[in-house]
Amino acid sequence: MTAMFAETAAQLSPSPGLWIVLISAALTDNILLTRFLGMCPFLSISKQLKSAFGMGLAVMVVTGFTCVLNYLLYIYVLLPLTPYGVPAESLKLILFIVVIAGFVQLLEMVIERISLKLYFSLGIFLPLITVNCAILGASLFMVNNVAGKGYDGWDVLVYGFGAGAGWFLAIMLMAGIRHRIAGGKVPAGLQGVGITLIITGIMAMAFTIFQGMIRT
Amino acid sequence: MIPVLPIILAATAACAVTTSLAAVLLLAERYLVKYGKCKLDVNSGDRLIEVKGGKSVLESLKGEGIFIPSACGGRGTCAYCKLKITEGGGPVAPTELALLTEQELADNVRITCQVKVRNDMSLLVPEHLLSAGEYRGVVERITDLTHDIKNLRIRLTEPERIKYRPGQYIQLEAPAYGDNPEAVYRAYSMSSMPDEDNCIELIIRLVPGGICTTWVFTMLAEGDEVRFNGPYGDFHLSETDREMVWIAGGSGMAPFWSMVRHMAAHGIARKTTYFFGAVRAADLFLLDELRKLDDQHEWFTFVPALSAPADEDKWYGETGLITDVVGRHVPDGSQAEVYLCGSPGMVDAAGRVIEAKGIPPERVFFDKFG
Amino acid sequence: MELLAPGALCRDGFLGDDHRGLAEILDTDRAAVEALGLTHRDIAGALDTACRAAIAGLEAPVHLPGGNLVAQFHDAMGVIPSPWGEGKLFAKGEVVVTDAATEERLIYTPLSVHLIGEHGFYEGRGSPYRIEPAKVARMFGLGKHPNDSDTTSE
Repeated sequence: MTAMFAETAAQLSPSPGLWIVLISAALTDNILLTRFLGMCPFLSISKQLKSAFGMGLAVMVVTGFTCVLNYLLYIYVLLPLTPYGVPAESLKLILFIVVIAGFVQLLEMVIERISLKLYFSLGIFLPLITVNCAILGASLFMVNNVAGKGYDGWDVLVYGFGAGAGWFLAIMLMAGIRHRIAGGKVPAGLQGVGITLIITGIMAMAFTIFQGMIRT
Repeated sequence: MIPVLPIILAATAACAVTTSLAAVLLLAERYLVKYGKCKLDVNSGDRLIEVKGGKSVLESLKGEGIFIPSACGGRGTCAYCKLKITEGGGPVAPTELALLTEQELADNVRITCQVKVRNDMSLLVPEHLLSAGEYRGVVERITDLTHDIKNLRIRLTEPERIKYRPGQYIQLEAPAYGDNPEAVYRAYSMSSMPDEDNCIELIIRLVPGGICTTWVFTMLAEGDEVRFNGPYGDFHLSETDREMVWIAGGSGMAPFWSMVRHMAAHGIARKTTYFFGAVRAADLFLLDELRKLDDQHEWFTFVPALSAPADEDKWYGETGLITDVVGRHVPDGSQAEVYLCGSPGMVDAAGRVIEAKGIPPERVFFDKFG
Repeated sequence: MELLAPGALCRDGFLGDDHRGLAEILDTDRAAVEALGLTHRDIAGALDTACRAAIAGLEAPVHLPGGNLVAQFHDAMGVIPSPWGEGKLFAKGEVVVTDAATEERLIYTPLSVHLIGEHGFYEGRGSPYRIEPAKVARMFGLGKHPNDSDTTSE
């Protein structure tokens, strides 16, 4: 079935490449459920639907924009300097983090302006988005994809927002599930993080059905 | 061979990226975090002020000459700056939730140093805070009353006069010094008489490790300039004619020293018994002056008591815990009013005696910062 | 935690001249307390009993029942908030507990009792109110160093 879907998608859309990029970023290669990155805020904020929505949206926006910014940084600053002996691989780590940190600061100011309630409910987790390893992970995977699979600028844009969307999807699903089981009887030792991790594992297993959707 | 070129290029690239990011953030802060002018409605139209948004309510009010007391300098730890914000307060910040009770939250009481002015607001400021101002003065005299209590006499320079009731307090500013990076404010009751309105006196006891008292005891000298806000507080003589029982210890003397001299000067002849407790004779001060007032005025009785007098004190006055002494001296307190100024321990102990004498809570007045 | 630094809430701060991080200070003291076979609450409880007795004595020395300990409270007006930021306020002033036999002295505040009981924080080395868990155990006769005195039951 998934193979049929891939065929149909390839035939219907004008740039099948972008669809594949999106599907792989959000589903088959889900940054949280397949790669297990960005677990901390996932486990803590998925308790409430509203904050999960806000956090997921914020992470998606940050991942999308920083992927693009880091791509530009990589292509126009780091790569041109490599012939001079500048180690792009190690330097990119530092510079990507700096860009992510700066962008999150910007986002904080914007959120404080737009919605105080969201700002307060995210609390300390807003600046903590900076060290959400999913975001740095997405940027680093993006570099691999650029080098390995030949992603261009548009691919990177779709990839960034797609990876973020995948994280968003995962945290919304988890929030929904936790909301449903909220009244239920969870054994004392497993309450809170314990049962959440178990559910995450089950979700990860479920997401493996997407493997094979894309013929590489 | 050190690869110089790559290092220089890498360093330049890193600096360039970081600097441009910093520039973007600075610009963003300038344009995003602008809230424009906001109107603050104080006491339902009593005062309307317009301030530039973005600062805390506490700071904005201070800028307009309304001084709300704060012991922690806006850090959100002391809860002195509570006010009711009836409109426009926005969602309650997590730092406020830690300091407010459920009832206060329901009544729209907020911690004003944690609420940013982002839009028009309506707030209620108690009368006595509205009349508080900022004062500058010069230290005229510092006298030692005991080994750990000093009397500070401050002559006002700007403005030159202060109006207050006996029993009120001011917040003295201790400037940054030594390891102390910021100025802090600490509250002290005024021991001076309101009639002498161009100066104030404070009785300050050294607090071990205290920021302000260390400054007063080790660095402040006669001739130095000081700043303070006030007057604050609603600890004052009641309007009735009832008999009064005053209980104090240590620096708790201050408001009562102001009250008794004011009463003497104005002929307020209410029956008053003043119980002053200390451990040993070395901790007592102003004894002669108070005994003189006791002799001169029929309505005033001064009862000092020592809880652990040393032999060399040759103490012939009352002994025991001050609260026990009160118990012995006040046969029928049912018609009296009680005024308390002291540490929580003393206030607790006094509370038990007061209950035993059948004095109702509405006739018990505390100096509320201790 | 900037509130632990000198000048934030009190003149000397809570970390003394200790160069260790907060986590390390808490860990080391936790290990010391466990080695004595006690919990933070046990130590805080003993200190609290002595503190209350001292406060009730209104600055006069109070002999603690069941041993050689004398506690005295030195009053100070005002309150100090907890540096942990929970918004709790504590009376200023210090308690001095002296062992009449050995002349050992322990100096702490009502805030110390809260910091030890709720957060396991005994303050950094060099801080004026730093408390060594072993010293408390020794003076109050708790844990693995039992004396014939037991003041905690009162």
